[in-house]
This record gives sequence, C-alpha cells and structure tokens, in this order.
Amino acid sequence: MRLKLDPRTKLYMLLIVSAIVMMSATTPLLWTIRIVVTVIPLLLLISEKRYASAFRFAALYTVALVLTFRFLSEESTGILKALLTGYSGIVVQFLPALITAWYVVRTTKIGEFMSAMQRMHVPDGIAISLAVVMRFFPTIKEEYASISDAMRMRGIALGGGNAAKMIEYRMIPLLFSCVNIGDELSAAAITRGLGGKGKRTSVEVLRLRAFDWLLIAVFTAAAVVFVVFKYVL
Amino acid sequence: MKESIIEIAHVSFQYKGSANGFLKDISLSVKKGETLLLTGLSGSGKTTIIRLINGLIPHYYPGELAGSISVAGHDIAKTELYELAGLVGTVFQNPRSQFFSVDTDGEIVFGPENIGLDPTEIINRKQTVVREMQIEKLLGRSLFELSGGEKQRIACASVSALLPDIILLDEPSSNLDQGAIENLREEIKRWKEQGKTLVISEHRLWYLKDLADRVIYMDAGSIRQEWSGPEFASMGSETVRQLQLRPLEVPDISPPICEGGCDCADDCKTVSPLPLSDDGFLLKDFYFSYHRKPNLFGKKKLTGQDDMLSLCIPHLVLPKRSVIGVIGKNGTGKSTFLKCVCGLEKDCKGSIEIDGKTYKGKDRRKLCYMVMQDVNHQLFTDSVEAEILLSMKEGSKERCDTILESLSILAYKSMHPMALSGGQKQRVAIASAIAANAKLMLFDEPTSGLDFAHMEKVGALLKNLAASGNTVLVATHDLELIELCCDYVLCIENGKLGYMRKVGSLQ
Repeated sequence: MRLKLDPRTKLYMLLIVSAIVMMSATTPLLWTIRIVVTVIPLLLLISEKRYASAFRFAALYTVALVLTFRFLSEESTGILKALLTGYSGIVVQFLPALITAWYVVRTTKIGEFMSAMQRMHVPDGIAISLAVVMRFFPTIKEEYASISDAMRMRGIALGGGNAAKMIEYRMIPLLFSCVNIGDELSAAAITRGLGGKGKRTSVEVLRLRAFDWLLIAVFTAAAVVFVVFKYVL
Repeated sequence: MKESIIEIAHVSFQYKGSANGFLKDISLSVKKGETLLLTGLSGSGKTTIIRLINGLIPHYYPGELAGSISVAGHDIAKTELYELAGLVGTVFQNPRSQFFSVDTDGEIVFGPENIGLDPTEIINRKQTVVREMQIEKLLGRSLFELSGGEKQRIACASVSALLPDIILLDEPSSNLDQGAIENLREEIKRWKEQGKTLVISEHRLWYLKDLADRVIYMDAGSIRQEWSGPEFASMGSETVRQLQLRPLEVPDISPPICEGGCDCADDCKTVSPLPLSDDGFLLKDFYFSYHRKPNLFGKKKLTGQDDMLSLCIPHLVLPKRSVIGVIGKNGTGKSTFLKCVCGLEKDCKGSIEIDGKTYKGKDRRKLCYMVMQDVNHQLFTDSVEAEILLSMKEGSKERCDTILESLSILAYKSMHPMALSGGQKQRVAIASAIAANAKLMLFDEPTSGLDFAHMEKVGALLKNLAASGNTVLVATHDLELIELCCDYVLCIENGKLGYMRKVGSLQ
C-alpha cells in the first residue's frame, strides 16, 4: 500500500522528530516515545517500497539500542567500550531525525515541496534554496559514484592508507563538479523565470487527508507528552 | 522584409576576471522566424552570443559590456531576467545540469509556474507539448534515470511549455547519439514551422545544414564569415575542412547507425566475432545486470542465460595495437561495457586474457585505464606532476617528464590540473594512464562538444597510443572521430554485441 502524504505533514514530522532527538530521554516512557517516532518513518519507508534503506536503518538503530541498554553502562571502561558508547550514543540520538529526513527527501517531488512552502507562506527565497538542496542530493550521489570509480581504478580508494589523502582525493573533485553543476543549474533555472517578482503558481493540488491528520495528531501528542513528562512532571 | 527581433549593435564583452572568451564589436540582427546557425571553433564566442540574447550576460555572468542588445523591443541591459522568461527559451548543452526538478512532469511545468500562470492553463500547455512531442512515455519518471537523449527531449519540452518566440540552443547535440539527434532535428523543424526565431550554436553541422536560413562563422570573438543556408549546405568539403569545421555529411561507416540493416543478432550466444588471430585481448564471460539486485548475503552470479542482463558479451577478441570505436545508442550499454571491462562493476565476473595471462576481478584494473567523459572526476592532486606520480609505483620523475613531453603538456607540470583547459585535462588523464602501464585504454566520449580541430587532435593522440603498443577502446557518438582514427568499430545493441568490423571495409 502506498500512502501519499501531504508534504506539510512530512515537514511537521521532521520538525517534531528533530525536536525530540534534541532532548535526552531518561525514563522508559520517554524512550518509548522516541522509539515510536522512529518506527513510524521506518514503516512509511516500507510503504514506499524502499525496503533496502528501511532495513539498513532499522538494523543500525536496533544494534545501537541493544548496545546501549545491554552492554554499556556508566561503569564501562576501556577504549573499545568508550568508542562503542560514542558510536551508539550518536546513532541512538540522531538516527531518528536522519531516517525522517531521508523519507522526506526521497518521497517528495520538488513541485509538491514548492507548493507546500507557498501554502505555508514561506518566502520564495527560502523555499527555492531548500528546493535546490533537495535537487542536489541525487546529483552529489551521481558525482560521488563516478569519483569513487575513478579512485578505485587508480587504486587510491583508500588514499594509500592515508586518511587525510583519502578525504582530499574525494572532496576536491566533488566540490569542483558540484560548484560547476550548481552554476549551470542556476543559469538554466533563471532563464526559465525562477526568482521573478510575480507570484509563483503551482499545479500540485495539496490536501490534508485523514491519514495526514492522524499522523499530525500522533506526532503532536508525542511531542507534548515528551515535554510534559521531561520538564513539567 | 520581416522585422528584426534580435538586434545586437557593436557589442564588445569581456568576462570578469578572465582574459579569454570575449567578443569584439559584434553586430548582428536576426529577423522574426529566422533560423540562425552559429558555428566556429570552441572558445570563439558562440556561447557568449547565446548568453547575450537570453540576458545571462550581463545579469548572471558579470563583465565589461559595451554596445546595445535589444530582443523583441526589450533593452537587455535594462530588463530583468524573469521578464525574458516567457520570451526567450534556452536549451543548454549539458542535459545533466539544466534541470531544476527531480521528476519529468515537474520539470515541464516549472517555467510556467515561475511566471505565475493559472494552473489549468499550465496543465493544458503541458498536455499540448507532450502530445506534440510524443513524450507520453517519459512522464512520471525520475530525471536521473533518463538517458541523455531523453533528458534533452524533456529540456526541449520544458522550453516549449513557456511558448517563447525566440528559442536558443547552445550545442544541444553534444551528448546525443544519432537517433536522439534525429529527434532533436524534428523538434527544431517543428519550432521553425511554428514561426519561432531560432539561434543555434553547434559543432555538429550535418543535421542542421538544411534547416538553417543563415550561418555565421565565428572566430576569436568576431564574425568572420556569413552564408545563406543553401550556400552553406552546398559548400565543398575542402572549404569546410579549411575552416576546421566538422563535416556537413555524416561519415559513412557502414552501417552508419546500428538500427535495422545490420547483422545484430538477437541471441547473444550465437554472435561470432570477427575471425581474428588469437593475438589480442580475449574477453570472456562479461555479464552484468542493473536489474538483478544482489541479495543481502551473497553476490549475484550471472550467466549468459539470464534474461535480465544489461550486458551480455560471452566472447570477444580485441585486436592488439588498434583503436576500436564502440558505438550504439544512448543508454544501450556502451558505458556499462567500458566499466565492466576495467573492473569497476564488481558483479561482472568477466576475464581478460592476454599473452597467456588471465586477469580477473580487481586485476583487470592493472591492465586497463579509463579516461572518463568528465575528466574532472579523475584528477585528484594539486599539480600535474603529482597526478602522474600518483599513478606510478616507482615514482620516477624522469619517466614522468618523458610522458608529459610525449603528450606536449610538460610546460604545465607544476600547474593545478583544475586550472587547465578541457583538452589539457584530458591529456593529463591520458598521461596517468600511460604512467600506470595500462595496456588497454578506454575512453568514454572523449570528443563530446569538441570542435573539429580539437577532435582531430584527440584522434591523432589515440592513433599514437595505438602505435606505441596500447590498445584503445573508445565509446563515442562522433562518427567523425571513428572515421578519423578507428581501425575497428564495435556496435553494442541492448547490451549485446551487434557486430564488429574493420572501418572502411564493407564486409
């Protein structure tokens, strides 16, 4: 089953999840809420048939959770445990936001996004910048893939064992080509009237359906309960 | 006499912070409904003229501008770019970087949305354009999965949807194959019939010669010569050559396109390659599939019987010391073939046998080196010398100098590779291929967007590489290049070996 969510719902989810990951969970109830807001975007990814990414995210998150609760504690000592604590801490803390962001970026068309931004009266300047960022992810991915190919071909994928070189070799060509593409992209967009003074229109008709409202309610409730139980009670 | 719609009067222009790419006292007027073809060497100012008309100069690319440009009564210098959007449409060279949307539908309506048209009107326009161009099949797709030719059709559609009176095309065929160029030609013809004014900057001339009403030859920022369409079309091949333009006729490398007429076999098992001696690179079991996803634990094992193969070449001999042109339509598997040969696709288990040795898997990378279409992706260091040394195991500076000398880029030894011109960068990449002792060199579209003079240089270079003992495999859409330098031509169709034959021989 494929659920077509309104982009505004998706952005709202992203906002709430981001807020929740910024507050540390301390009690079992708070942990439950966190896990719930992580599982929902995972299910949504599955409903969009993005099984591979859903599986990877789920595995990563579960491993980090298990590590945090079963194997690590304040008394843990040793370098390995310190590294593991750092790793799983970061994953458990921020992965929920990443999963949601991934879902939003991969399932929202630029047209829908621009239309949603207009309906929310976001200035065009901001909406366009954000849209360009979304447009750029697949480009970066393509460029990155061909740079990786070039590196493997020359046998320098690992930078000759030098971590700094490894990053340098990847980043320099990537930055050059992204700057070039960005430049050509804006020139092309401007010649087609982007950034004009007139009001932009949109062919995408947005409507909040029952399922949108349900999700908005669930996420609002999650945020309220989280804040109330953490800071008020 | 029709009124003129574009009027360029005594315009000089110099890009900010750059010494080249400037125009000197250009005057040009284009009549309503005229089709003007701009040609000339790379860097002669063709693109700059296109940018003058669509207003990107001076509004997007700053520089020193003198003289006046008026387009349909608008003084460009005083007109905001968005006001020109419904008036002047531009199709750019690189299909990769002219999209704002991620999906095809969104892209077609992007322009009309920007100028604030009513949504029902936008939908109507979209439907009209889609019907006229017959691109129903491309709707609802991601732009990132389209082939170059399909992307360019969407670019044309999205320009059409704005209903501009003037359409500019900046080297639109650079990345297109024969069939896609035919489509582009049809589109240009249709625009011409609709009475649009067209200005086209292009190196490939054969597909435009009977569409252009007037042809302008640019050289070093000035208009050097001007012909009427028929005059130009009947020009002798000697004159064309002297002007260093690409030929007006498609070179005949029988069959010119791998479509009907050729002996492309359907069943990949039954294809017999050119009967050759064993003195060559023997490619065995090259199978690859984009559709078969690997399962979570094991690698996929592909065989020739699989019906979802993107590449299926069970047996192929590449003759040593020769230049072999690889042709085929956009998206038919040429690049995939090159990537598989040099071992970049892990799932392709093919082996290469040469001189009694067999190279498999990663070892193939020691034998092969690919010069990519976008060479920017394979230059990593901060100087040309470091770039070459990176490819050498022993790191001998003398050898590095010798290689650079042989490619006549020794003078740029200490420069940053990114500061070089496109052709020089390509030579740096070739130099690292030589440094890495690659015996089989692969080139992916080395001449896309090049003028004839540069193409001749590339051709000579490839011939030299073959003469000095390498084997060169070059994937290209430029039949001119094949005529210039290839010994053999290899046609790939739908991932299968169509045919392989000697260039020039009809057998």
